Amino acid sequence: MNFRTAIRGLLFGTLMAAVAITATAAETIKIGVNVPLTGFAASDGTSALNGAKLAVKQLNDAGGINGKKLELVIYDDQASPKQSVPIATKLIEKDKVVVGVSCSYSGATRAAAGIYQEAKTPYISAYAIHPDITRTGNYVFRTSFVGEVQGRAGAKLAGEILNKKRAVLITLNNDFGKSLVAGFKEKANKYGITILNEYPYSIKDRQFGPIIARVKADNPDVIYATGYFFTAGPLVSQLRAAGVKATIIGQEGFDTQTFIKIAGPASEGVIITTSLDRGSKSAETKHFIEQYEQMFNHKTDMVAASGHTAIKVAAAAIQAAGSTDRAAVRDAIAKTDLVAATGTISFNSLGEVIKDVQVQIVKNGEFRHYAVISDAALLAPPAQ
Amino acid sequence: MLFFDLLVQGLIQGGIYSLIAIGLTLVYGLLRILHVSHAGLYTLGGYIALLVTNLTGSFTLGMIVSMVGVGLAGMVIYRLIYQPILNKPPFVALIASIGMFIAMEEIYRIIFGPYGITFVDPPLQGTFTVANIYLRHSEIAAIVLAVSLITALSLFTRYTRIGIAWRATVTDPEMAQSFGVDVIKVRYLNFFIGSAMAAGAGGMVALLNNLVEPTMGSVPSYKALAIIVLGGLGNVKGTVIAALIIGISEAFGTIYLGDFLDRDSIAFALLILVLMFKPTGLFVRG
Amino acid sequence: MEYEISLLTIMGISIIGALSLNLIVGFCGQISLGHAAFLGIGAYTSAILTKAGIPFFIAIVAGMLLSGVFGLIVGFASLRVKEDFLAITTMGVAFLFMGIIRKQEVLGGEMGIAMIPGSGLGKFGYMLLVMLLAGALILFSIYLKNSWMGFTFNAVSADENTANLIGINVANYKLIAFVLGTAFAGLAGALYAHNIRFIDPESFGFIESITILSMVVIGGMGSVWGVTIAAVLLSIFPMWFQFIEDYKLLVYGGLLCLIMIFSPEGLSGISEKIYAGVRGKRSDASS
Repeated sequence: MNFRTAIRGLLFGTLMAAVAITATAAETIKIGVNVPLTGFAASDGTSALNGAKLAVKQLNDAGGINGKKLELVIYDDQASPKQSVPIATKLIEKDKVVVGVSCSYSGATRAAAGIYQEAKTPYISAYAIHPDITRTGNYVFRTSFVGEVQGRAGAKLAGEILNKKRAVLITLNNDFGKSLVAGFKEKANKYGITILNEYPYSIKDRQFGPIIARVKADNPDVIYATGYFFTAGPLVSQLRAAGVKATIIGQEGFDTQTFIKIAGPASEGVIITTSLDRGSKSAETKHFIEQYEQMFNHKTDMVAASGHTAIKVAAAAIQAAGSTDRAAVRDAIAKTDLVAATGTISFNSLGEVIKDVQVQIVKNGEFRHYAVISDAALLAPPAQ
Repeated sequence: MLFFDLLVQGLIQGGIYSLIAIGLTLVYGLLRILHVSHAGLYTLGGYIALLVTNLTGSFTLGMIVSMVGVGLAGMVIYRLIYQPILNKPPFVALIASIGMFIAMEEIYRIIFGPYGITFVDPPLQGTFTVANIYLRHSEIAAIVLAVSLITALSLFTRYTRIGIAWRATVTDPEMAQSFGVDVIKVRYLNFFIGSAMAAGAGGMVALLNNLVEPTMGSVPSYKALAIIVLGGLGNVKGTVIAALIIGISEAFGTIYLGDFLDRDSIAFALLILVLMFKPTGLFVRG
Repeated sequence: MEYEISLLTIMGISIIGALSLNLIVGFCGQISLGHAAFLGIGAYTSAILTKAGIPFFIAIVAGMLLSGVFGLIVGFASLRVKEDFLAITTMGVAFLFMGIIRKQEVLGGEMGIAMIPGSGLGKFGYMLLVMLLAGALILFSIYLKNSWMGFTFNAVSADENTANLIGINVANYKLIAFVLGTAFAGLAGALYAHNIRFIDPESFGFIESITILSMVVIGGMGSVWGVTIAAVLLSIFPMWFQFIEDYKLLVYGGLLCLIMIFSPEGLSGISEKIYAGVRGKRSDASS
């Protein structure tokens, strides 16, 4: 092998590699994801991302979108607005994503939404709850319930479906808890519920002794408790151990098997409003639940379902638009009418999702179907 | 009734805080270091206790293994992190400790996952009821553990040779050394005992919550600092009392001041108030 | 270029934040574990004022002033409590400020304040403004360090009692250090608010205070250029370590720990060792 041949070989190889790289690059459609993989929100972030990854796998196995494969470009934002902003800029400018999906909490999502709107790139919030997120502009959508909507459903559940009239609120003191409770309070009167007392707690709390002492004194027949599995689990467990018999209503933050594991037998009978119906007859939902468990060796949860749904909506819109032009995709998202793991998805003029509220109950150590709330007037999300 | 309930809850929380804070104040008393990564050892105690219990079915064994194991881990941390930087300005140890703590939390998350782990068959789940008072067996166990460990510590430092030598070294290292006390051994003992007690607290909290998470040490990491300052840095008795005061204040404060201050602020507001009148804490340095 | 611009802006803001703490901690030797709260005061003040219609530049200055005022109050506390007690007190003050904000809906509460107006300068213009201010603070810090005030700070930092004995009004200088440091922190906070356009109490919590402190300590306390470089590196650390994703925070914690063990004087310490080594070699060579 002489020198010239070697050089020619090298050039040829490089050329082939370059072609291969550009060819492969041209073959994927990129969706950007900002998600907390480290830090305090890591558990939700991991779930949501897993749901998203499953969606991509399912779509790619079925042939991709418009003949190309989907690719997720993932950045860890630690649920911090300070990081989600440069990440959003990078995704839009450097990675040239078609759509952005937030698998992160409200603060990070809200900050990034501004960037996406300015850059006229569609952005879908999988589960972040801050009402201002969609108000950022017409490029921002949300596939999960705004807190208030779910809270209103909770009021109907408590007052009408379960016929409980004396309620105590145990509120997680962050945007999630507070917006849920705002919705509950808004409709409490309509369903004849008297709110006896409200007790806020911090996301870091795991011992609820003082609150439970007060709740015992209040003697309600229903407790509307907001929180995430790592607060709800201990809370429910301690409530029952203290002899509190009232029905406990939770929301999607409870919706994970880990909640049941933590609370053990105390979780029996807890009812939640959520978007994942484990008794669903829908093929989409059933496949999601089964395949998630297979792929990740872990039971699925609401946050994962939300991540999954967001990707599916993005992909369907790109397919409908027939191109990766961001404006066209945005219009397609607005017209979404898709059956996803969390129900039939469509959006109102603000980009808020319109879908039924699922009600699940813990029975024999698992979440099971209990009811569905489809009252469109009640569940209408804000339109501005 | 409500008053009594809140008081009991405050004492339980205070008891757990005191187990954690004692280790912190012991290290400060001896080395003048704010040992933030102590909270990481507390978390490790929770993990080991839970995992050993799940493996062997015995919570007692879990607690023992946890306390001994974490005691040793504490000694390792002293040797690797603090010994090289003993003569440097205080910031150095503080930042190194914080870095270590962040790394520990991450290691737990990477190894054990972000969701947290639970007992397969949680022990001590019963409840003791008398009149309208409900006390979970696990809560009673927590109180018993805290009281026993603190009493044991007190007896140890008073009636055993090693304990007396240790106390002497904390009060005046040079004098103790001139009497033949091996200061290095005392340091290791210090870290062992403090870390073991934190592990005890960790195991108890694991039981009370039926949950061990990688970030369970983040609140103690700063709250314990407030407690040891309130108690008078280096004063063990003061720390225990401060811990109980903070536990009780939080119990009542979250209910009655909850509209105005969040939980952490209550402890710090109390601390700042006290420091304005007694700048060296409630009790003088032990 | 937008991405690079956003990174540079973040860097600039971090430099201002770190140098402001350097005034208190590095120059004057007072321990502060709650510095992020002062950024928070500047941020919230500026955010609320601009949302109420007050022009950007006035709001920023207002943020600085209010931070300085609170800094003065905390500075008085530093006269009562010393060293490690002061460290924890400053930490407590930060928790208290943020704890109160969390509970006041009018200040945004847990939800924070969103849709904060921009500066009106556009992204590039804003970056220039931030860079300019950062540069100004660097120059000011250097000037201060070499001025008589800087020497006095040094004296107070090294040995308060002796400083007192030779007639320095230690109390006044501590207060000055606190006010200057917190005012500039307020500036950094206000700039942050108009950059990210969303603030909440969590953004100015204990973790943030520690991050800023580690910039100062890793840079080498008191060293202006050391702290500046540390601020630049640490502020974009999460971004250039994205490729190790899962292990990012672990590496960060480990680095903090290792740097403290092996080079407690931080970056300026490392450079001094290298410099001394080089000089040593040179003098070896010449002899």
